Amino acid sequence: MDFSTFRNAVVEAAEKQGIAEYELYYQSSESTGIGAFAHEINEFSSSVDGGVCFRCIVDGRMGYASTERLEPAEAADLVARAASNAASLESDDREFLCEGGKTYEPLERTPAPLPATEELVAAALAGQDALYAADPAVIDGSRSSAECAKTEIAIVNSKGLDLHYENSFAVFMSMAVVSDGHEMANDYTIKSGDFAKIDIKAAAGESVSNAKSKLGADVAPTGTSPVVFSPEAMSSLLGTYSGVFSGENARRGLSLLSGKEGEKIASDIVTLVDDPFYKDSMMPINFDAEGSPTHRKNVIENGKLTTLLHNLKTAAAAGIETTGNASKGSYDSPVGIRPFTMYIAPGTTTEEELLKKADGGVLITSLGGLHAGANVVSGDFSLQSSGYMIEGGKKGKAVKSFTVAGNFYTLLQSIAGVSDTVKLPGFGGMTAFGSPSVLVEGLSIAGK
Amino acid sequence: MISRQICEAVLRKAVSTGADYAEIFAENTLDHSINMISGKVESINDAVIAGAGIRVYKGLRSVMATTIDTSEAGLMRCAEKAASALGEGKAEIEICLHERLYGDVHPIRIVPATVANADKIAVLKEGVYAAKEYSDEIKQVTGTLLDIDHNILIATSEGIYAEDRQIRTRLIVTAVAEKNGETQTGACRPGRRMGMEMFEHEVSARDTGIHAAKQAVTMAGAGYCPAGVMPVAIGNGFGGVIFHEACGHSLEATSVAYGTSQFAGKLGQQIANPKLTAIDDGTIPNAWGSINIDDEGTPSRKNVLIENGILKTYMIDKFNGRRMGMAPTGSARRQSYAYTTTSRMTNTYIAEGNDDNDEIIASIEYGLFAKEMGGGSVNPATGEFNFAVNEGYLVRNGKICEPVRGASLVGKGSDVIMNIDMIGTNLDLGQGMCGSSSGSIPTNVGQPLIRVSSITVGGR
Repeated sequence: MDFSTFRNAVVEAAEKQGIAEYELYYQSSESTGIGAFAHEINEFSSSVDGGVCFRCIVDGRMGYASTERLEPAEAADLVARAASNAASLESDDREFLCEGGKTYEPLERTPAPLPATEELVAAALAGQDALYAADPAVIDGSRSSAECAKTEIAIVNSKGLDLHYENSFAVFMSMAVVSDGHEMANDYTIKSGDFAKIDIKAAAGESVSNAKSKLGADVAPTGTSPVVFSPEAMSSLLGTYSGVFSGENARRGLSLLSGKEGEKIASDIVTLVDDPFYKDSMMPINFDAEGSPTHRKNVIENGKLTTLLHNLKTAAAAGIETTGNASKGSYDSPVGIRPFTMYIAPGTTTEEELLKKADGGVLITSLGGLHAGANVVSGDFSLQSSGYMIEGGKKGKAVKSFTVAGNFYTLLQSIAGVSDTVKLPGFGGMTAFGSPSVLVEGLSIAGK
Repeated sequence: MISRQICEAVLRKAVSTGADYAEIFAENTLDHSINMISGKVESINDAVIAGAGIRVYKGLRSVMATTIDTSEAGLMRCAEKAASALGEGKAEIEICLHERLYGDVHPIRIVPATVANADKIAVLKEGVYAAKEYSDEIKQVTGTLLDIDHNILIATSEGIYAEDRQIRTRLIVTAVAEKNGETQTGACRPGRRMGMEMFEHEVSARDTGIHAAKQAVTMAGAGYCPAGVMPVAIGNGFGGVIFHEACGHSLEATSVAYGTSQFAGKLGQQIANPKLTAIDDGTIPNAWGSINIDDEGTPSRKNVLIENGILKTYMIDKFNGRRMGMAPTGSARRQSYAYTTTSRMTNTYIAEGNDDNDEIIASIEYGLFAKEMGGGSVNPATGEFNFAVNEGYLVRNGKICEPVRGASLVGKGSDVIMNIDMIGTNLDLGQGMCGSSSGSIPTNVGQPLIRVSSITVGGR
């Protein structure tokens, strides 16, 4: 059964049960993935999933219920569950549904056509050839994969909102495993965008050279030193701490940025942008999870906190307009707050100059265990790292198995340099994080 | 959920192009959670997750297709998709299913889905209020009571037609304490493969709240942990995350089959300290990580992974087992139909040793006592792992001294399991959610108090 038929059944059920204010949020995705190992395709997957979240305001409270069974018999139960859940809630916050008739910025980009399965197979196999050809140190265990997905989102509500969004993307991933006979090292590269234009050889080569550079890595020495975070490392740190910019967390005492709007919270050279239409985003979108129009904004401008991120509820509580940052982790999650593409704006320093300024310090290219080693409330972090020593103002010998420790709030204030090129690494969906290389003074390194 | 006759027809379609194995995994899951913040019930999540995944193998190739349409027609379309992706062969195997009843060693007395929200909220409030009332320094408390009723059906071309109903309940309380402008958190997250009867004898909601609050208050007053290489004593229960990360993931066929594990090819070899015996046991009655059958229909069992330091077995699923030439160990798991099954842990723990707990602490001249651990992660290929210390204390001259915050432990799995040189006698299990390629699944970690003779402590 499709969404539009199910939608009619739910609307009818809501009316029958006397529910006047409600919203239906539908999300589905279809994906195809191909994996190759030892020059052979060993995995193929084809997935269809999705579901509907129904939420309604009963006596001022917002009840939720979700289902993946889009069957007419399920509609009445869905509505009844949401209404019953609403009756158990106690929060006194005012609840809102987005009004219809808003103006939305047109999406200029049309997604590139999805590759056919045969193209994915060819790419995965070509990836294997490129991996083994790149270097004799490459060993079995090195994998290549290609995946494409189509996502559909629809939001309709009792206030006349009726929005629909479709997006598709394709990615190629190369995971290189290398060995020098004594130890193994691995690294991976992900490329997305127009699938036909992805340079598979270059992607495979990048994963191999990154993995190779980790072989023979030493443990970094313990002490306090300047640290340059690569765009990959800084983006992952920013992603981990992005919740501190949430208006919801601020109101709940879970972000130390509460009430700091207009104040200086970062070094003058820091500007932090949230852009739903960012050029490299895999999923640019012009409405948020409540249906409010989205827009680009500076969250930090030259060190000063301009705004926190809000949805309808938290904005009303703060007495301002929503920033269009309502989000849902999955279709069945409650509405929360998240950025779209959040990135630190580029500076004027080149990468080389940044390393020169950090001579004797550490270049960190990868951080691990962010879900555990970073406390998002206090801002304290102590994280597994790998990277390179900075010797003579240049990238020197590889180092691993050390930690970098500090505090995110303090780190923002101690940023002493920002390079001139922003990268958006990783496999970001609607929410993605980016950064240039960033120099931070005085972080603690624990190694040998 | 789906009749035997329909499953037979769907499997016949799935093997119609020459597959040598086919499998249907169907589920119908009720996922329910109640969330409190600022003393009030803030939201309730209430979801029905339903769908099916069909897998076919031929030799070392696997194909998986998923669908949310579990009608006969929907399943047939899904099977056809899988079959056609495999290639253009002819059916080579017969399908004949017999129902199997494996039994259930995890009795449930109060099925959560039959309990009113109001009764669940009463339990949740007991935990949240206990945390709030613990101290004036507690500034915020969040609480979640979640229950999941996960019904699965597995039918395979080997003739298995079996069902399992996995019910789990968990209470999570987190507390935020503020002292002299410094903010710290504490948490407690007990869970079982049980219904609401969990709160009668097994878990006290009140103690859960107090535990979280006490940890937050302790850590808010703590200074930073010093950095360096030192001996570390790791507390029992969730401390077992050290084995889970440093070693457990590298023993999963997921990485072993592809040679990308630090322990590939090491069966029968001494890989850990001779004092160390480690077990993965999915059969512990009502334990958080327990399963009657795994997600390929293999009965769960107790697997001795390491005995006196010698590697005895890996954790193996059917597909990766083919590449390894080894039989499955009841370790195949997936979060839901939408994920491809792979080998995973269940309840994994370091068995009790012979060292006196007090002597373990007394043996440390200068080091860290990691009383409670947080989560962590590992690169199974290199064995490089990390995890966070949620509650730590410095040890001087064999005595536990002041609390320290912000510590983490990093190292290499193969080194650290050699360096576990004292093992105490107070085995306990701790609950976690483990994330990997087949999604997020409930697992227990566990151990008695142990000593690691030398490890890098990240601090400042």
